[in-house]
Amino acid sequence: MKTEKVVLENETGLHARPASELAKLASKFKCNVKINANGKTIDAKSILSIMSAGVKAKTEIEIECDGEDEENAIKEIVEAFKNKFGE
Amino acid sequence: MFKGKGVSVGIGFGTAVVLKEQERKIEKTTVDEPEKEIIRFKDALKQVEEDTQQIVDSATGTEKEIMSAYLMIIQDPTLTVETENAISNLKYNAEYAVDIGFNSVIQLFESMDDEYMAGRARDIADIKNRVLAKLANEETINISKLPENTIIVATELTTSDTAKLDFKNVSGIISEIGGTNSHTSIMARTHAIPAITRVEDATKIFRNGDKIAINGSTGEIFLNPTQEETEQLQKLQKQLKEETEELEKYKKLDTRTKDDYKVELVANIGTPADIESVIKNSAEGVGLFRSEFLYMDNENMPTEEEQFEAYKKVAEAMGDKPVIIRTLDVGGDKEIKYLHLEKEANPFLGYRAIRLCLDNIAIFKIQLRAILRASAFGNLSIMFPMISSIEELREAKKILEECKKELDGENINYNKNIKTGIMIEIPSAALISVGLATECDFFSIGTNDLIQYTVAVERGNEKISKLYTKYHPAVIKLVKLAIDGAHSANIFCGMCGEAASDELYVPLLVGLGLDEFSMNPNSILKTRKRIGELDRKECEKLANEILIMTSAEEVEKRLKEFADK
Repeated sequence: MKTEKVVLENETGLHARPASELAKLASKFKCNVKINANGKTIDAKSILSIMSAGVKAKTEIEIECDGEDEENAIKEIVEAFKNKFGE
Repeated sequence: MFKGKGVSVGIGFGTAVVLKEQERKIEKTTVDEPEKEIIRFKDALKQVEEDTQQIVDSATGTEKEIMSAYLMIIQDPTLTVETENAISNLKYNAEYAVDIGFNSVIQLFESMDDEYMAGRARDIADIKNRVLAKLANEETINISKLPENTIIVATELTTSDTAKLDFKNVSGIISEIGGTNSHTSIMARTHAIPAITRVEDATKIFRNGDKIAINGSTGEIFLNPTQEETEQLQKLQKQLKEETEELEKYKKLDTRTKDDYKVELVANIGTPADIESVIKNSAEGVGLFRSEFLYMDNENMPTEEEQFEAYKKVAEAMGDKPVIIRTLDVGGDKEIKYLHLEKEANPFLGYRAIRLCLDNIAIFKIQLRAILRASAFGNLSIMFPMISSIEELREAKKILEECKKELDGENINYNKNIKTGIMIEIPSAALISVGLATECDFFSIGTNDLIQYTVAVERGNEKISKLYTKYHPAVIKLVKLAIDGAHSANIFCGMCGEAASDELYVPLLVGLGLDEFSMNPNSILKTRKRIGELDRKECEKLANEILIMTSAEEVEKRLKEFADK
């Protein structure tokens, strides 16, 4: 299992575009992808879970990847957070 | 025969597609074989998914993004967990299970106290309705993909409806509410689709599949037209077509009066897609590019990049021809979720347009930077809406200068001499036009709002619509003040309201010395022809006569007389 912490930089939080980009990206990988934020654990492959968690800007988030391609998954997902999901 | 108010001319024949919310009663029963019920539910969901996939495939830009997110919600297993539980464990029928299962997700989003999430709650409710419709084997209407020759029948078309509407297959529009200047009517005229509004109970009278013919000039609607009626309408249709063809020859000409006085004839547009119609009708530029569509059709604040792309597209398409972009013009009467505008008792007198921008400089700067960057690709000007005082103009220009400095610092190219102008739509601006003219490069009179603010009549209020008239002598005096004010500082004065293309009004405007007429692209050729028939000196005489009149009735009568001559 791989974990890494990032801070959400998107001004509007994990909404709309970032939420769908995250779900799309996480779904590419075989491993389980969870994110821990505000004491909640969210399934990063579910756009509804991500959006209903209401993660606000500047929140610290722990990404957790567990499975065969966890190495690549965590790398790409951390990268995506840092790029503000292209916003 | 039924009758309404014709708001967009033309004859249309077609088959009715009625847009209305289905009222649905959901029975609660239990089933013996929940496995089969699960399959029934999944089939229905699958069909909704496929329909949505088709929309995503054919969509572009922002719409594609919105619909892709919507599709992901449909595909998300979390969405249906509760529904499937209700079928498998509680043996409910699929309809009832969908109702309670989806409602639990909807409530979750609604309880989040977040405008954006409330919007997702509506998306999920929409998915629920579509699944229920599939379960009931109802046909759902996809307005972005309509059969040929469709006559749309609706209570009223919303902005989001018209953003998706498959215009090329729409041969007519019938709506229950709306006036000449409602969103639907303006849109219908832009796309040259015959339209009739104020047809009471239209969505009850007409049914899907009805054969209908409409006459957008007279407001007549024929349900199952007889042979005779059809022939008569076809004759009219042919006549209208000939008139349009006759106008073709005006495409190659300048706009000049008989005595060779030249004016500029330009177009009003709402989105970059309207450029096609602008070029087809040989407009000499764009006198008003409303930038609101970028904000209204979007879930988030449009980024500088998105705006830049939209403005650049128009700038490039028009080449050397002038394009005037109006900065954001919205207020509490328009719902733009992410702006979090409060509902106001008097939105038209409230926090809107330039007032909102000067109070949210960050938002304003994004737009100004995008316009400046796009100005390197064509002949763009900037216009500020709803200016009521000289301080607002100065403040707006100051912020524009800051944006220019920022771009200089970033070595980004833009037109350093970009022109800035203002809308004259508030009486106070017309009254101080001499002063305003010394600090900007042009005026554009917005008659629709100028009338509303001058005679204190809300535009959309049917009960007092008689008082809303462009013929009111006070309105005409303000128009004259604005034109004279502009000319005193040697700047040009245009007009971008509906009045600029009104056949009766045009001679008066020529007589008052208006320099630029901006209108719906479809009115360009007709207006060019009309101006070509006029003699400027006669128009000046007419204007002088009218300026001393005191009643709107008298003004209208005189203008009719002049037109009939």
